[in-house]
Amino acid sequence: MLYREALNRAIDEAMRDDQSVVILGEDVGRYGGSYRVSESLYAKYGSKRVIDTPIAELSIVGNAIGMAIGGLRPVAEIMTVNFSLLAMDQIINHAAKLRYMSGGKLAVPLTVRMPGGVSRQLAAQHSESYETLYASIPGLIVFAASNPNYAYHALKKAIFLNDPVIFLEHELLYNEKGDVDFENEIDPFKASIIKEGKDITIISYLKMVKESAEAIRVIEESLDVDCELIDLNSLRPVDMPTVSKSVKKTKRVVLIEEDHKTGGYAAELSARIAEELFYELDAPILRIGGEDVPVPYNRKLELASIPTSEKIAKKIISWGKENGL
Amino acid sequence: MDYEIKMPVLSDTMESGKLIKWHVKEGQSVKKGDVIADVESDKAIMEVQTFKSGVVKKLFSKEGENIDIGKTIAVIETETENIKNYEKPIEKKRVKTVEKNSSDKKIKLRGIASAAAKKTARDLDLDIENLQKENKLPKPAHLEDIKQVVLKRYFTPKALKLFKGYLLKTENFTLDHKINSTEVKEYISKFSVPAVKKLSSNRKGILKTLQESIKKPVYHIYETLDLSRFLDSNFKLTSILIKITADSMQNHPQTRALLKEDGFYIYPNSSVSVAVSRGEELYMVVIKNANLLSLEEIDNWVREIKQKDYMPEDLNGSTFGISNLGMYNIKAFDAIINKNDSGIAAFGSLNEGKISVVFSFDHRILNGKEAALFVKEMKRRCKNG
Repeated sequence: MLYREALNRAIDEAMRDDQSVVILGEDVGRYGGSYRVSESLYAKYGSKRVIDTPIAELSIVGNAIGMAIGGLRPVAEIMTVNFSLLAMDQIINHAAKLRYMSGGKLAVPLTVRMPGGVSRQLAAQHSESYETLYASIPGLIVFAASNPNYAYHALKKAIFLNDPVIFLEHELLYNEKGDVDFENEIDPFKASIIKEGKDITIISYLKMVKESAEAIRVIEESLDVDCELIDLNSLRPVDMPTVSKSVKKTKRVVLIEEDHKTGGYAAELSARIAEELFYELDAPILRIGGEDVPVPYNRKLELASIPTSEKIAKKIISWGKENGL
Repeated sequence: MDYEIKMPVLSDTMESGKLIKWHVKEGQSVKKGDVIADVESDKAIMEVQTFKSGVVKKLFSKEGENIDIGKTIAVIETETENIKNYEKPIEKKRVKTVEKNSSDKKIKLRGIASAAAKKTARDLDLDIENLQKENKLPKPAHLEDIKQVVLKRYFTPKALKLFKGYLLKTENFTLDHKINSTEVKEYISKFSVPAVKKLSSNRKGILKTLQESIKKPVYHIYETLDLSRFLDSNFKLTSILIKITADSMQNHPQTRALLKEDGFYIYPNSSVSVAVSRGEELYMVVIKNANLLSLEEIDNWVREIKQKDYMPEDLNGSTFGISNLGMYNIKAFDAIINKNDSGIAAFGSLNEGKISVVFSFDHRILNGKEAALFVKEMKRRCKNG
């Protein structure tokens, strides 16, 4: 099943099972969604539950918050995280804080879906990753789906959670294939161990999980080591017990993100690891992230600005050699 | 009971307050709610009240003095009978109960090492800084380096050798004395710890060849060759066997054939893979175009091959192989066909000029008749040259 099909099925099933689930966003209705995630839902559920909106992100989220307070379970789609900047006030000042400001009287069961990351030549204004911003806001839950199975289960859970969830997708993952296990539900707040190992913990999320997995073969052969790969899944809250258990075992940790390295999500996580697991570490924490430049349009430069499996392998191998491996 | 009145926090930014005026004297009775002093914060002058009744036992500051917030400014004795002999209350200084040992340990945290290495070193009472001065630890030191130091400290060299071969852990032993090999051997025997031999890349390659060989349709031909005319020769038996094999291959194209998906690739010259054992490793070293070489040249190759470092091209490009276990007094055996070779001849020991050979052929490349003719030629060449 494709990643976008898994998302479609999650929304479809949620809408089928619960009348209060509605979706809204630019082109989610008649057009079927910019990335075909809401395909066929308009025909199935009609214009009252599948709502095409103007190009006005603040109002998309603002309306969705109103719906949520009023008892619906809206799923708002923002075309890319880059445009979510326009909806920031509604997301941060309202969605995230209304439960707190009302002393628990208001709940905002809202899901805001948005794809991000570097796609193919969409240039600087359409290639950002803003998970660090959302993951730093108390009151929000942030999920990052790297594969169809998580996408399906986590989106379904997100829709039925009673607090606002920022549901992050990646533009290059929509056509990614993967098995979805419909029988066994998952805990969307838990990180998953993609591959077990004993020498290096590699932590990533979204598309970089795939790049890391490809790099691992080369790293293991070159350094004669056994890598453990963790997909964080939930960025806020982050599953520290899983991270901690792995770091205690391997004593070495590498954090990989596509976002600019400075102030990126890995910066926060590496600080936590240093604070909580300092004496477990046998090597400096290695962060691999995007360059500190606006993402270039030129394909070669674009690729040069983000981690790829080759670069990940090269950096981990030289870091390993410098640090006793 | 002593009731301590402290410098109150009068504003968010206040760090200390100035005592403007005392409204009471030591020994004076006070009631709950009485103002005892005026203090000035960074913003205003405020009154300080007592929340308990009693007798003022002690005033700690003089008027005009600055006092940090939270510090006791006055003590009221609430049980009025015990006012006598009052002394300044013991100041609860935060004296760290530093013991000698822990300060020693602190010093030992010096040196350049990873956090995990330092923690382990501290637990094991190792001084990283000193060890690095003595060049017993690298800079920076990692966990593995600390483990090595511990191993050297608590285990004799012989015991250490056992450690490597058996994947033992230091945790298995009580580290309070030098542990010798006898003790380690006892442990190995008692807990039945297996020795672990890692696969060399050559061994991995051989395993792959062997796995592949299972799929080959192999059959055998048994024959005895008469080598009596070579008994007085100075050449090595292996050299003679290579020469005879390579020359015979010339008249039997299928022995020079490589099977690919689209057909047989038949090479003009005879390249023979020769089983060479070196230490624990087995190599199938290829002598290229052996039909073009004289017996002397082949013999030189055989004499040199044992010392040579093999490059990938030394181990590829053959179409037929030989293996000679005769030197171990083996009567006869059959061998596994190397890689893509068409077959292999396994030579037993030479007995009164006669040698028994077991040929293995890949039926996909040579059928029985072709193989029989090849064997017949080898037999003839041995006898008559």
